[in-house]
Amino acid sequence: MGGLRELDRVLRGEATDRPALARDGLAVPVGPLLRVSALLAAGYGVCMGVYGLAARAEPEVRQLLADAVKVPALFLLTLVVTFPSLYVFNALVGSRLGARELARLMAAAVAVTVAVLAGLGPIVAFFSLTTTSYAFVVLLNVAVFAVAGGFGLAFLLRTLEKLTARPAPTPAPAAETELVPAGEDEAPAAPPTPPPAPPATDVGVTAVFRVWVVLFAVVGAQMSWVLRPFIGSPTEPFTWFRPRESSFVEAVLRSFRALFAG
Amino acid sequence: MTTLAFRLVDGLLRGAPAAGGWGAGLAVVVLGGMAYGAVMGASAGLGGDRPLQVLFSAVKVPLLLLVTTALALPSFFVMNSLLGLRADFPEAARAVAAAQAAVAVVLAALAPYTALWYATSADYHEAILFNVAMFAAASAAAQWVLRRRYAALVARDPRHRAMLRAWLGVYAFVGVQMGWVLRPFVGRPDRPVTFFRDDAWGNAYVVVLDLAWQALTRWPGWSFP
Repeated sequence: MGGLRELDRVLRGEATDRPALARDGLAVPVGPLLRVSALLAAGYGVCMGVYGLAARAEPEVRQLLADAVKVPALFLLTLVVTFPSLYVFNALVGSRLGARELARLMAAAVAVTVAVLAGLGPIVAFFSLTTTSYAFVVLLNVAVFAVAGGFGLAFLLRTLEKLTARPAPTPAPAAETELVPAGEDEAPAAPPTPPPAPPATDVGVTAVFRVWVVLFAVVGAQMSWVLRPFIGSPTEPFTWFRPRESSFVEAVLRSFRALFAG
Repeated sequence: MTTLAFRLVDGLLRGAPAAGGWGAGLAVVVLGGMAYGAVMGASAGLGGDRPLQVLFSAVKVPLLLLVTTALALPSFFVMNSLLGLRADFPEAARAVAAAQAAVAVVLAALAPYTALWYATSADYHEAILFNVAMFAAASAAAQWVLRRRYAALVARDPRHRAMLRAWLGVYAFVGVQMGWVLRPFVGRPDRPVTFFRDDAWGNAYVVVLDLAWQALTRWPGWSFP
C-alpha cells in the first residue's frame, strides 16, 4: 500500500530532512497519508474497544465497531475544525507556507501521532482485556493519547522550524568577507552583524503554530468528549453517543479520584 | 546439538555479536523459561494434581517473556523510527531479544536455588518472595546484556540511550501486569491447580494503589474521610 510507504518515509524523517525540504519542499501526498492514518486510527479504536468486550457481563461488540469509526473521526473532525483558522492566521502573519504545504504538514503530523497511537495499541488492548477498573483504563487511554500527541507535536514544530528557516538566497559568507577589512578602522561604525536571525515573520509563524497546537489539543479533547463513549462504563448500557453533560477535564479528574480514593 | 546449544548460550552471555538467529533465541527463551517455570511450579511437591501446576508454570514463564516483548515492540519500533534510528532498529531488536534470552538462561541457572528453597521451606509467602528475588536477579543480569549490546548503538547515536530507557519503562509497565494476569506461578498449596486464577482478571496497579490507600487511611493517627 502506497500510504504505508509514505508514512514510513515520514516516520524515518526522510521526507523532512533538510536537503529534501530544500530541494522540493514537504513532498508528501495528503490523500494516501490521511487514508493510512484513518486505518491506523481504526486499528487503535479496535484496541480501545476491547474493554467493551472484556469488562461487561456480556461482550459488547458494538463498542468495538463504534471505536473503529470514532477514533479516525476524532482526528479528522478535529483537523477540520482547526485547519481553517490555522490557515488564515498563518497567512496573516506572512508565512512562507501555502495552503497546500500546510495541508501536507498537517497530514504528516497527524500521521505521526496516529502511528505512535497504533504502536501503543497492543498494550492498551492487553490492559483493557485484563483490567476491570474503568478509571484505570480511562487514564491509560488519556496517557497514551498524550504520549502520541507529544510525539506529533514535536514532529510538527521541528518540521515547521526546518520549513520556515529554509536558507535565504543570500549566502552569509559573502557578508563576512566584507566585514573583515572594514573592521580595521571603522569598527564602531560597522558592528559585526549578528548571525542571520530568522525573519520577523517566521517568529510570527512559530507563535501561530504554538497557539494552534494548544488549540488542537483543546478541540481534540472536547471532540473526544462529544464523541464519547469511547471506552464505555461497564455499569451502563451501551450507547452510540451520550447526552451533553460535564466536560473532558472534569471527567479526567473524576477518574483520578476514583482510582486513588478507591 | 548439545555443543551447539552450549556455544549459543555461552556466546549470548559473553556478548558475542551474532549468537545464533531468531529461531535459536526463541528456543533459548522457551527452554530456559520452561526449565525455571517447571521448578517454580513445584512448590507444593509433586503429589496429587501438582504435576499439572509444574506444567502450567513451565508454559507460563516463556509466555510472560514472549508476550510482554511482543506487546512492547510495536511502539518501540515507531518511536525508534521517529527518532531517526530506523537503520539501527534490527540491531536494537536483536539486543532486546538477546536480553529476553538472557533472562531465560539466568533463570534456568537459578532454578536449582529455587528447588533447594522449596526443599527447605514450605511457606507459601516465602516461596513467592524467593521467586521475586530470582526474577529480580535474572532481570538485573539481562539488563547487563542489554546495556552491553546497546553500548555500541549509544556510541553511534546518543539518542539510543533515551530509547533504551523508553524500552525498559514500557517493558516493565507491561511486564508487571502480564505477571499479574498469568498468576498463579507458584500456586497456593491450599487451592486446586488452575491455569488462571478465577479472580486473576484485574489490574496490578489498581491493586497496589488500593493497598497503598488502605495503608494510608488505616494508619493510626491518620483521619482520612
